[in-house]
Amino acid sequence: MAAARRLKRVVASQPGFLNFKSSSESLSGRRKRVNKNKKKSWNKHSDINDVEEFLEDVRLQERTTGGLLAEKSDDSLFFLDVGQPKRAERKAAEPIEGKKRKGKTPRPLRIDLILQQDSLIPAPKDVLAYQQPNAKKLRRISQKAEQLAAKGVVTRRQKRLLSRRPVTKEAKKSDTEANNNPNRDYYDIWGQEQSTVKDSAEDWYLQQTGKKRVKRPEKLSDRPSVLPAVEVIAPGGSYNPDFFSHQALLKEAHEVEVKKQKEEDKLERQLAVNKDDTATEETVIREQVEGLVEEEEEEEEDEEEAAHDEEDEDAEGGSSLAKKKTERQRKREKADKIKELRRLDSKRQMDHRQQLFQLRSIKASIKQQEQSTEDKQKIRKANQEAEKSQPRRLGKLKFQAQDLEVQLSDELAGSLRQLKPEGSVLKDRFKSLQKRNLIEPRERAKFKRRHKLKYVEKRAFRAIT
Amino acid sequence: MGGLQKKKYERGSVTNYITRNKARKKLRLSLPDFRRLCILKGIYPHEPKHKKKVNKGSTAPRTFYLIKDIRFLLHEPIVGKFRDYKVFVRKLKKAYGKTEWSAVERLRENKPTYKLDHIIKERYPSFIDALRDIDDALCMCFLFSTFARTGKCHVQTIQLCRRLTVEWMNYVVAARALRKVFISIKGIYYQAEVMGQLITWLVPYQFSHDHPTDVDYRVMATFTELYTTLLGFINFRLYHSLNLLYPPKKLSALSASLARMVSSAEEEEAQLDQFPVEGEDMEKLEAREREQKEQEAQKKLFDGLKFFLNREVPRESLAFVIRCFGGEVSWDKSVCIGSTYEVTEETITHHIVDRPNASTQYINRYYIQPQWVYDCINAKIVLPVEDYFLGVTLPPHLSPFVEEKEGDYMPPEKVKIMALQRGEKPEQEDEEEEDEDEDEEEEEDDNDDEEEDEEEDEEESEEKNLKKMEKQRSQGKSLQVKVTPGKMKVENPERLEQEEKAEEKRLAIMMMKKKEKYLYDKIMFGKKRKIREANKLTAKRKAHDDAEKANKKKTRK
Repeated sequence: MAAARRLKRVVASQPGFLNFKSSSESLSGRRKRVNKNKKKSWNKHSDINDVEEFLEDVRLQERTTGGLLAEKSDDSLFFLDVGQPKRAERKAAEPIEGKKRKGKTPRPLRIDLILQQDSLIPAPKDVLAYQQPNAKKLRRISQKAEQLAAKGVVTRRQKRLLSRRPVTKEAKKSDTEANNNPNRDYYDIWGQEQSTVKDSAEDWYLQQTGKKRVKRPEKLSDRPSVLPAVEVIAPGGSYNPDFFSHQALLKEAHEVEVKKQKEEDKLERQLAVNKDDTATEETVIREQVEGLVEEEEEEEEDEEEAAHDEEDEDAEGGSSLAKKKTERQRKREKADKIKELRRLDSKRQMDHRQQLFQLRSIKASIKQQEQSTEDKQKIRKANQEAEKSQPRRLGKLKFQAQDLEVQLSDELAGSLRQLKPEGSVLKDRFKSLQKRNLIEPRERAKFKRRHKLKYVEKRAFRAIT
Repeated sequence: MGGLQKKKYERGSVTNYITRNKARKKLRLSLPDFRRLCILKGIYPHEPKHKKKVNKGSTAPRTFYLIKDIRFLLHEPIVGKFRDYKVFVRKLKKAYGKTEWSAVERLRENKPTYKLDHIIKERYPSFIDALRDIDDALCMCFLFSTFARTGKCHVQTIQLCRRLTVEWMNYVVAARALRKVFISIKGIYYQAEVMGQLITWLVPYQFSHDHPTDVDYRVMATFTELYTTLLGFINFRLYHSLNLLYPPKKLSALSASLARMVSSAEEEEAQLDQFPVEGEDMEKLEAREREQKEQEAQKKLFDGLKFFLNREVPRESLAFVIRCFGGEVSWDKSVCIGSTYEVTEETITHHIVDRPNASTQYINRYYIQPQWVYDCINAKIVLPVEDYFLGVTLPPHLSPFVEEKEGDYMPPEKVKIMALQRGEKPEQEDEEEEDEDEDEEEEEDDNDDEEEDEEEDEEESEEKNLKKMEKQRSQGKSLQVKVTPGKMKVENPERLEQEEKAEEKRLAIMMMKKKEKYLYDKIMFGKKRKIREANKLTAKRKAHDDAEKANKKKTRK
C-alpha cells in the first residue's frame, strides 16, 4: 500500500503530468515555528493537500473510467470523426431508446437508479460478513451426523424428538362453537323419536336432581297473529304491471295521501282563528269601560228586584195558610189509598187476561229483540275478527304502517335492467314483525346526558367582554 | 281496616300479567339481553283485554307479558350464558385497560358461547311445525345474505346466511318444488311447495341498498341467529329426505347438480302415483291424477332447453328458476365461477339478453328478454317467443298470486295465456268438461233442496259460460293464424248440452219459493254488476289499445 502511494507521488511530481483538478493556491504567509519531529505535530502542521489532491484525482479517474487515463489505449479514449454516420445506424439507435418497454418489466424506479452503484470499482468484500464463529466445529459436527445417518444410526436425542407428539393447533373453541360459525354442521334434530318412551324411574330421577326439562306452556305455541308471514304485494306492484292493477294501486296510495291531507286540514281548521273574534275598537272600549258606567244600570236593577219580591210573597202567603189535617181528611186519604190499590190490582189482572190476546204481538216483539241481539252479536264478532288482524298495542308507541310501495307511471322501468327497486326489504321485514305482534314498536333510544353540560367562557374571551 | 276485606288488584287478570321491567328484574338481565331472550324463546308481549284493570287503574301504555311465560323463562339455561357473557365483557375491559395482552388472549379464547339447538327442538317439536315457520326464516336469511360485508353485522353471520340460502335453493332445484315467481318493485317473490306446505319468500334485488336508520339491527340480528339455526336443521332434514349428501360441496354457482347418495329416489316417486286411496270416488281420483300429471308436466317445463345468460340479466335468480324446471343454463366465464359452456356453443336454444339490441347474432337460437322465463313459469307452459324479442314492448308481467274469480276483470294477456293453455291441450279439455258435467249432474240429483248447492251449480254454469265466451273470443283471434278444423267439431255436442243445462236452470228458477227467489235475485244482481264492470274495463282497455295502435301508425308515417 505504501509502495503504491509512493509511486503515485513520484508520478505526480513528473513535469508532464496532467491533473483533472487545477492546483489549489498554495498557502502563503507567516508560519509559526513548530517542531515537526514529534508525531503530535505531524497531523497539524504538515501540508499534504497536494498529495491529497493528486490522490483524489487518481481515485476519481479510477471510479469513473476504471483505471488511470494515462494507462488507457488511444482507441478507447479517442475516435476519428469521419462525417455523418449512416442513416440505418441512427434509425436503429433511436427506436431502441425511444421504445417504451411494452413487455412485462416496467421502467425501473428512479430511486433504484439513484441507489445503484455507479462506480466502476467494485466495493470491497466484507470479510466479517462471511465469517462464522465455530465454523470448523460446526462443520465437523454436521459431517459426523451425515456419516451416522449414512450408516443408519439414530442418536438418542433424535429418538426423543421423533417420539414427541406433534403440536396440533386447535381452532379457537369460541369460534367453532359460536352460533354464526359459517362452517357449523347440523344434525337430525327431529330424528330421535324413540326418546318418547319414558322410563318412570328415570323420570323421577331427573325430576329430583333438577335436570328434567320444564314443559313449554301450550299457549306459547299459538301464533300471536293470524296474518301470514309474507304478504305478497298487489299485482299493481309488478315491475311491468298491467294498466288497471297499477291504477288500482295508485288509487290506494292516493287515498292514503288524501286521508293524511284531510287530517292536516282538520287540524288547521281547528286551530284557525275566527275573524269575528278579533278585537275591534268597539269591543276594546266596551271592555275597558265595563263596570265604570253606573247610574242608568242601577235604576233598572232596582225595578227588576221589586217585581221579583212581590211574586215571592204571594207564593209564601199561599203556603202559610196550611193547617193541621182533620180526621176526615185522614179517612179520605186511607180510602183513597185502598181504592188506588184495588184499582191497580184489577188493572194487573185485566192485563194478565188481555195478554192472552196479545200473544202474537208479544211474540213479534220478542222475536225482534232476539234479532237485534243476534245482529249486535254478529257485528261484535266481526269486529273482533277484524281486530285480530290488526296489530295490537303493545307498548308506548303505536304501530306506524309503512307507505305503500308504488312506482308512478313515469318511474316504471321498461326493462328489468333499468328497474329501480322501491322500498327496503329490511324495513318491510321489520314492520312485518311489528305487525304480527312479535316485537313492540320502538324508536331509537335518545342520547340522554346524565349531567347537564356547563358552558364556561375562556379566559381570553372573558378579558374581552 | 280489617284483614278480611278484599284488596284491589290482588285477584283476577292482574295476577296473570307482569310488566316488562318487573320481568327483567326478576330474570336479572339487562334490557337488550331480555329482549334477545324473548325473541329466541318465542315469548311475545300480550295486550290484556282490560288494560285499566291490569295496569292497576292507570291507563299509561305499558308492555305486559304473561307471568307463566316469564316463569318458564326462569328455567332456561341460556340465561346463565348471558350472565357469563356479561362477566366476560367486564373482565375483558379490565384486561384491555391494564394492557395485559396475554390475559386478553386467554379470555378471548375462552369466550362463552351458547347453542340454540334445544330451543329449536322445544319450539318446533315436529318437522312439519318447523316447515310452517320457514317463510320468515327464509326471508331473513336471503335478506342478510345480500348485505355488504362491512362491519355493521358479523361477517360470519352473512357468510352463514349465504351458505344456507344456496343450500335451500339447491334443494328446491333438486326437488323441482318451485311453483310461482313474481317480479315486483320490492324484490322477487317465490313460492314453492315442500312436503305439502306452500312456502312463500321474498328475495331482495342485489343492487339495492339503503340502510334505513329506524330499523333495530340488534333485533334483526337476533332473529337471524334463531332463523339460521332453524334453516340449517331444516335443510339437513330435507336433503336427507331426498337422499342427498349434506353438507353439499361446491354449490355457490348453482349450476352443478348435487351428489346423490342413492339414485333410486326418482323411481320411488313414480310408483307412488298408482296407489289409489280407498274410499274415494272415481272423479276425485281422476282429478288428482290429472293434477299430478299437470304438475309432472310443469316440472319438466324447460327440459331439453339450453339457456345462456348475458351479463346484464340477474344471473342468480334466472339460473335458479331455469334449473328448477329442468333447463340447462350458463353464463360468461368472467362473470362468475361455475359457467359450464360459453357463448359460442352451438346447442344453445335461448339466449337471454336485456339490451335493446344484441351484438352478434347466432342463427339457431332465440334472443329473448328475461321476462319470458318468468311468464312461462307462471303460465305453466312454454309461451310463444315472439312477444319477448329484443326491442319489443313486453306484455305486462301478471301476478300469479292473484286468484281471479269468475266475473272479475281478467286482463286480456291472462285470457290469452289461458287460451294457450287450453289450446295446447285440446284432448284434455274434453275430459275436463265431461268430468265437470258428471260432477254437476250428480250434485243436482243428491241435493235439490239446499240453496247452496243450487248456487254452486249456477256458479259453475256461469263460469263455463264465461269461459266459453272468452274461448270463442280468443279462438276468433287465433283462428286467423291457425286453421284447426278439429276444434269446430268439438263445439256442437257441447252446445247442445249447454242448452239443456240452461233450460233446466230456468225451470229450477221458476220452481223456487218466494224467499229463495229473493235471495237468488240479490246474488245475481251482485254478480251481474261485477260482470258489467269487468266488461266496462275490457272496453276501456280495448279503446286504449286501439288508441295506441293509431298513435303508432301515425308515428310510423
